[in-house]
Amino acid sequence: MKRIFGLALGILTAIGGFVDIGDLVTNAVVGSRFGLSLAWIVVVGVLGICIFAQMSGRVAAVSGRATFELIRERLGPRLAVMNLGASFLINLMTLTAEIGGVALALQLVSSVDYLLWVPFAAIAIWLVIWRVKFKIMENVAGLVGLCLIGFAVGLFLLGPDWSELGRQVVHGVSTGTEKATTYWFYAVALFGAAMTPYEVFFFSSGAVEEGWTTKDLSESRANVVVGFPLGGLLSLAIAGCAAVVLLPQLIGVTALSQVMLPVAVAGGKLLLAFIILGVVAATAGAALETTLSAGYTIAQFLGWPWGKFRPPAQAARFHLLMIICLLVGIGTLMTGVDPIQVTEFSVVFSAVALPMTYLPILIVANDPEYMGKHVNGRVLNAVALVYLVIILAAALAAIPLMIITGAGQ
Amino acid sequence: MTAEGDNQQPRWLDAHLHLLDRQVLDVHGVPVAVVDDLELSEIPAGQEIPRDMSPPVITALLSGPALATRIFGARPPDSRLVRTPWVAVREVGVVIKLSVGRDTQDLSWTERWVRDHVIGHIPGGRHTPKNEESQQGNERGGS
Repeated sequence: MKRIFGLALGILTAIGGFVDIGDLVTNAVVGSRFGLSLAWIVVVGVLGICIFAQMSGRVAAVSGRATFELIRERLGPRLAVMNLGASFLINLMTLTAEIGGVALALQLVSSVDYLLWVPFAAIAIWLVIWRVKFKIMENVAGLVGLCLIGFAVGLFLLGPDWSELGRQVVHGVSTGTEKATTYWFYAVALFGAAMTPYEVFFFSSGAVEEGWTTKDLSESRANVVVGFPLGGLLSLAIAGCAAVVLLPQLIGVTALSQVMLPVAVAGGKLLLAFIILGVVAATAGAALETTLSAGYTIAQFLGWPWGKFRPPAQAARFHLLMIICLLVGIGTLMTGVDPIQVTEFSVVFSAVALPMTYLPILIVANDPEYMGKHVNGRVLNAVALVYLVIILAAALAAIPLMIITGAGQ
Repeated sequence: MTAEGDNQQPRWLDAHLHLLDRQVLDVHGVPVAVVDDLELSEIPAGQEIPRDMSPPVITALLSGPALATRIFGARPPDSRLVRTPWVAVREVGVVIKLSVGRDTQDLSWTERWVRDHVIGHIPGGRHTPKNEESQQGNERGGS
């Protein structure tokens, strides 16, 4: 009974923790401009993150080694330091966007300018990292994040023409104004939003934090394989809501309030309140994950003691680094930069940085010295190699597409 | 080269593959550093090496400034090298385990400095969220 409960809890946490500010914004933007014609890329991205997270979690559980230690071991210091630089900066960007997301959601509730909420949000994030147990932190954020199911509820309440939505999935939308390059730019952005590197840093380091062993493998696989796709459904619901309400009115998404607008139309204040709670939890949860990931990557690269399972004094540099990252995040937001734009950039750059994180994990997952009999099976390797090609293609295409389309303008 | 002090079968180690960039754990399983570079016993520079001379052996694992010089070239002055003597190495596996505690190494002076001057002063900094976890934590991270 306890096992089933633990399993259910893990799955629910994975669902609620799947969506972050990147998914919220990108899915809504795409839904409002392309309807559900990019739904297929969400499916591709979700399957990708399942494979990637499952592999990195298994490597961490079997060998006790988290992702960035392995990146350095396998790529050597030169490539690894470049990878670290890129991953760290993108992660910092995502962290900034997530804190901005928390603040924007709180602004919607309170009518207090989001800039005033930023320091409070960041301090709350820090307090949780400083004092709250890893497991509790993860579960609470994930479970409250489940409120985002309100997007799915909203979609049903809107009573859309399902055959029209289905037609969008298969044939695309004939708006006539969007160019093919813009379509593919958003395809890459959605892919990056689904497969953000920090998720993997967090997932594999979390496996070490929670002291996973080979016995926990089946449970972790269930969490990922069931939880992430259900989380992906939430992403599709966000896009669906935007496709039904915003697309016909030609409303572009430039603010978080517009992401939630369709839900307010569908379910009124009550559902909106529910969604805002979900958004706060999802973005705060992701802010926690990105802050920890910032610490994890550098600490693992340099061999420092790290982890929430140690008292802060025994992982002093790790904690100091996270404090600095939060301060940088506050500082960046205080310049008045638009958090939504930061988000849009962060998902595209996530796609760029992905191959250098993915490849070392794929190699180590096949190394018997680390993995013993838990090396990748043939089917998994075949799919993982297909994904290597997709990831490389997305990474190479991202920057040119961004320049050609003027970041999707 | 073979790892000394191993009571098992002699094992071939590829310095690049098995030693460099590996995580180093102290005797309690706490991360200390990463092997940034290796120090070999002296080979006379610029002279022909006599045939009967014993091959060079690893004398120490280096970390700290050695990383920057390994990436960008050059060599830091001897006084700046942070050494872990090879005799302190107990086991070479997926990670490198030492037979000493980390506080005996000058490796972790930055860690101690940050602990004593910054993190230790913030309330709650010396407590774990849950006590028994800190004990588990000591055994984690390596096996």
